[in-house]
Amino acid sequence: MWAYIIRRVLATIPVMAFVALFVFSLLYLAPGDPAAVIAGDQATPDDVERIRASLGLDRPYLVRFSEWVFRILQGDLGTSIFTNLPVGHMIAQRIEPTLSLMIVTLCLALSIAIPMGVVAAWKQGTWIDRAVMGFAVLGFSVPVFVVGYLLAYVFALELDWFPVQGYTPFAQGFFPWIENLVLPAVALGGVYIALIARITRATMLEVLQQDYIRTARAKGAGQSSILFLHALKNAAVPIVTVVGIGIALLIGGAVVTESVFAIPGLGRLTVDAILRRDYPVIQGVVLLFSFVYVLVNLGIDLLYTFLDPRIRY
Amino acid sequence: MQRRELFAATAAAAMTSPAVAQAPRILRFVPQANLTSLDPIWTTANVTRNHAYMVYDTLYGLDAEFNARPQMASGHSIEDGGKRITITLRAGLRWHDGERVTAADCVQSLVRWMRRNPSGQQLARQLDELVAVDDTSFRFRLKKPFPLLFSALASPVNPAPFMMPERIAATDAFQQIREAIGSGPFKFNSREYNSGSLVVYERNGDYVPNPQGRPSFTAGPKVANFDRIEWRIITDAATATAALQTGEIDWFEQPPPEIQQLLRRNRNITQEPIDPLPLSAILRFNFLHGPFDKKEMRQAILPAVNQADYMSAVVGTDPALIRTGVGVFTPGTPLASDVGLEALTGPRSIDRAKALLRDAGYTNQLIRLIGPTDILAPAAITQVAGDMFRRLGVNLDFVLTDWGTVVQRRASREPIERGGWNVFLTSFSSTDFMDPAGHFPLRGSGANSWPGWPTVPRLEELRDAWFDAPDLDAQKAIARDMQRTAMDEVPFIPVGAYMSVTAHRSNLRDRVPGFALFWNLRRA
Repeated sequence: MWAYIIRRVLATIPVMAFVALFVFSLLYLAPGDPAAVIAGDQATPDDVERIRASLGLDRPYLVRFSEWVFRILQGDLGTSIFTNLPVGHMIAQRIEPTLSLMIVTLCLALSIAIPMGVVAAWKQGTWIDRAVMGFAVLGFSVPVFVVGYLLAYVFALELDWFPVQGYTPFAQGFFPWIENLVLPAVALGGVYIALIARITRATMLEVLQQDYIRTARAKGAGQSSILFLHALKNAAVPIVTVVGIGIALLIGGAVVTESVFAIPGLGRLTVDAILRRDYPVIQGVVLLFSFVYVLVNLGIDLLYTFLDPRIRY
Repeated sequence: MQRRELFAATAAAAMTSPAVAQAPRILRFVPQANLTSLDPIWTTANVTRNHAYMVYDTLYGLDAEFNARPQMASGHSIEDGGKRITITLRAGLRWHDGERVTAADCVQSLVRWMRRNPSGQQLARQLDELVAVDDTSFRFRLKKPFPLLFSALASPVNPAPFMMPERIAATDAFQQIREAIGSGPFKFNSREYNSGSLVVYERNGDYVPNPQGRPSFTAGPKVANFDRIEWRIITDAATATAALQTGEIDWFEQPPPEIQQLLRRNRNITQEPIDPLPLSAILRFNFLHGPFDKKEMRQAILPAVNQADYMSAVVGTDPALIRTGVGVFTPGTPLASDVGLEALTGPRSIDRAKALLRDAGYTNQLIRLIGPTDILAPAAITQVAGDMFRRLGVNLDFVLTDWGTVVQRRASREPIERGGWNVFLTSFSSTDFMDPAGHFPLRGSGANSWPGWPTVPRLEELRDAWFDAPDLDAQKAIARDMQRTAMDEVPFIPVGAYMSVTAHRSNLRDRVPGFALFWNLRRA
């Protein structure tokens, strides 16, 4: 097991190296010049050139790339072109809101989607099943920002139950923290709930046909015991896989959700940086997201061994 | 009071003893854009200028009648026929770190400003010496009189001459400063600064407002009536609007037109032009490549431009927000006139423009119009221009990207077949077009000009003459001549001017018109 973990951790190195090369090259080739944006309308071409030189943007690709990689290896993600702040500091400021949003969304999604999928499979073909699947289709189809605006309109503007926007750090108390996250988490969780509910239903349907379920019924096991102890446990591997894949959905959705609810997270940092061509920030955030995604996948793989003892690495 | 606030307040009242501490006065404001740079000399972003007017002070302020008034200066003396000017500082000025403001600080700040500001660059060319005489006064020694000195020192045109401590102002003008320490009415709270989310300012308790005059644009006493001002960066207009409606924020600097219509129905919200002067919009030609390298081609477009069409695309059809018959200077400012505007104010005719294009020798060459999709006014006027060129029947390549790409692409001097451009549109704030000093599209210095690179020596001669003009009448005469020349050479076409509307809670009073200025403002 440990050998496997070490192998997997080592395998992230070439993956991250490829991501780094890809991100850097993409930004190098992308149109847009931060020096021109900084210099503004009043600058002469000489001014723009001076700013470009002061930012080191006039140097060859390989020089810039190798310097960047060298700094990364020392744990330095560079300095934002625009704010003059270390990228590491900017990311640190933004991690808590994004992490909070993801955790709350994940908890919300799992606590709703799994029972929904289980019940839909149990009541296959009934109106409950159709309602759950209808909700899943809706969850997939309606864009996050539409759900976000609707929730904000109803629950913040009209009913005044929740704030429209913003984020309160956890350190300032659980209730202020959760109050700001409820609407964004519901908006972001819609697609995630749909995804998990569908896969739970499909997997449960398959498991419920198995011989050991018939045996459990024959033994006189109760319905909830059959569903949650016998069936769900055996259906867990595909569900966990989808939960892992869904992290990418969450990262993408967080960009939109954070904009709609003005949450100062990494998603908004990324969008702002892209629009301004703040290369060090874009590179730092994309690298971080990639690293997280690789780690999540590793975590999911390890989780398989606990859920299904037959799996060995 | 909102329902949630009421619950919270009731709970808090139940838990606390009857203390007498007064709650801090907090203002929550949503700016037009994120504050990415704190250095008002390094960047020309308006949002940084607004930040700078909170943190820094200027030697002179500009009042609503465009007069320069002493601000940090207590006064000045002019000797040697205007070639030796000594400025004395007000007593009691202190930086936010507690140090005294000295003449040496101001000299260094001006040296840095002169590297980047067009008026400053002109001043630097005429400067023999700028030295601190003692701790409280400094002296300009000039090669020849510079009549616009005080206007330049009061000008809010980016980058404006903000005063900083000498050690900070010693930073190269092309490098960003690392600290925001000024002597203005508000202190920047660096601990809470989270670019893209939150900017916090605290009232500078040591600030001594200018005892002279009344608050008027950037001149007069700057009295801070809020203990803490929070800039909440909310990029989504709908979210900012909802937050304004619920009272989570007090002031939304720049609601888009469709939002303005919605807010009009809310009696708790006041909407008004943020600046009594309008912003100007232009259509810019590239002089380097055909077909608009020919004057007749550029002139041929004039009859097709209907300024009302362009402006209603930006702010809707409310006539109070639109200015037409606009020339090269900001309407309502001293240099604005209608001289030479007949080609823009006469009957509009696409057919006439088509005929003029034919006469000028247009043979279906490709015309590339570039523009953004992500910035409201330039995006809207670019769409109108696209429609105009289509109706003119030209061979149009209409390229829409984000603003960052437009800024880079318009700097390209490549021919059209190698990615170059022919036309783009943009808008400028009222102060940018107030006079020839910072009016970049009106320059005619060829390769050194703003993108478009027109070579019009007459415009340069007139600009130099304007800097030397002894009084306003002489300046006006030169400005008329510049407008006449510009309408003949057509380095750009003015496509109108529009008022920018701001929205705030109705209990905010005594806002100083101009841009987002925070002194004098109070909650009723």
